[in-house]
Amino acid sequence: MTLLEIAGLSKAYRGIHAVRNTSFRVEQGTITGLIGPNGSGKTTTIDCITGFQQADAGRIRLEDRDISDLPPQRIARAGLLRTFQTVRIYDDFDLMQNLLAVTAPFADVTGWDMVLRRRRFREAHRQAARRAQEAIDLVGLTRLIDAPAAILSYGQKKLLALAATMMTNPKLVILDEPVAGVDPTRVNDIAELLRRINRSGTTFLIVEHNVEFITNLCDHVLVLDQGRLLAEGAPKAIRTDVRVLDAYLGRERQAERDPAGLQ
Amino acid sequence: MRVAGLTALALAALAILPLFVHSNYVLSIAISGFIFVVCAAALNLIYGFAGLLSFAQLGFWGIGGYAAAIAVVDGKLGFAASVMFAALLAAVIALVTGFPILRTNRHAFVIVTLTFALLCALVARDWISVTRGPLGIPSLPVPTFFGFAFASPTRFYYLAFAFAVLALGILYALVTSRIGLLLKAIKQNEALARSQGISPMPYKLFAFVLGAALTGMAGGIYVFHLRIVDPTFLDFYYMQTFLIFVVLGGAGSFWGVVIASALMVALPEALRFTNDLRMVIYGFVLVVAMLVMPRGIAGVFHDRRLNALRAKLA
Repeated sequence: MTLLEIAGLSKAYRGIHAVRNTSFRVEQGTITGLIGPNGSGKTTTIDCITGFQQADAGRIRLEDRDISDLPPQRIARAGLLRTFQTVRIYDDFDLMQNLLAVTAPFADVTGWDMVLRRRRFREAHRQAARRAQEAIDLVGLTRLIDAPAAILSYGQKKLLALAATMMTNPKLVILDEPVAGVDPTRVNDIAELLRRINRSGTTFLIVEHNVEFITNLCDHVLVLDQGRLLAEGAPKAIRTDVRVLDAYLGRERQAERDPAGLQ
Repeated sequence: MRVAGLTALALAALAILPLFVHSNYVLSIAISGFIFVVCAAALNLIYGFAGLLSFAQLGFWGIGGYAAAIAVVDGKLGFAASVMFAALLAAVIALVTGFPILRTNRHAFVIVTLTFALLCALVARDWISVTRGPLGIPSLPVPTFFGFAFASPTRFYYLAFAFAVLALGILYALVTSRIGLLLKAIKQNEALARSQGISPMPYKLFAFVLGAALTGMAGGIYVFHLRIVDPTFLDFYYMQTFLIFVVLGGAGSFWGVVIASALMVALPEALRFTNDLRMVIYGFVLVVAMLVMPRGIAGVFHDRRLNALRAKLA
């Protein structure tokens, strides 16, 4: 079943076409990878999907709902969450507060419930705190739960951002470079963690530069180049696809053939 | 628990103060303190929690003052009704202007709100048929509430005290609730907040309107203390006072701002021993305070806690 469908997506900044008439699908239950060289339009694509950029053309559907014109907060509430390439967390909050800020567990709680600490709020808060504790345990930050997020390392902040997506049961989570800048010894742990979350029902769309991470983890890989969908398929097929190698690894292949740079 | 105990102690001390202090001058300082601390706490809601440096507070203060004075003199309303009218008018104006103002970015927001405050001062001076222009509206009646006249400074002291406790109580309940958490989330990282399903506008607008209502109400009560309102009521002195309390206390800290307000109300009076150097020393203390604790009193405690944690985890 198709969970996310992108049809004819285009976005230009002052005449530079970041994304040109791109269409693809993300199937329910998969871990789908989105790769491509620098400037190929990956981040623009997910910014358009999550409402942080307004696309010039194209439609975006989440299940049977058109989310093309919704603002980011409405898209999040529709069950599509994301993380950011330059990690975003609340530095002044401790880890628990970081996760409690997520609105999903408090969807039925009104402002008055919050201010007067009514039972509906207290019940939601108790459940959210339990869930936050589990998420923090799962990403391995238990020891730091009361610490201000400002003292976390870059990689730990990425893990915290990932934990925040686990505060609800999202339909789809888009991760923008989840392992860039993360300690290489932890990369496999994160892949394992994502597989576990995926098995419990969350679909992932992952943007990464680390091709090995993507091809090991994903069921399906999309390759963008110069704002267009260049190729898609199983990781194995992508690894050997000549077009992909030319676009994505072109420079290295060039160097292999001509190490001295004589041509 | 310790906070609750200290608060109870401070409230008790303030409640019995007029039994020991009979100087009208000291009581008048205390009355100003009660009114100003509410305005500082309201500014803290907008600036410290929602992250919006709003100079419009001065405008709402002036709107409240004029609205209460005009309501009681021209509208023949009672004291309580006039003050409620002041709060309501400030809230309505905040609601109408807030929606477009809050769509601007942070720097533009500062400039637009500053312009709003200056505009209010202009209106106070030049809309003579309503505000009486530079002469202002003198001889406001003694405030009476259900037949009880707050005629003496001691009685007015209790009125201002009750108002401060009530207003600060509301703000405390609010900023320590989940709404306070969400406001701070929006302030720290609006894009992240939106990606997690938080709509920033309703929260910002709510903070802006509530801050305006409380500031307008404070201004409305204060004109009955002064017994006159004129364009000097929109002097930048008031805005600067509120802002000093907030910055010195630590924007975003409820108790920091309350404590800083108490200290800064008392400081100029403690310096009365030298009339020539009084304001010079006051300014000097401010500069040193900002150098030593750039994020205010609350910032010092926050940094200490952070360092202790870092040491523990290292």
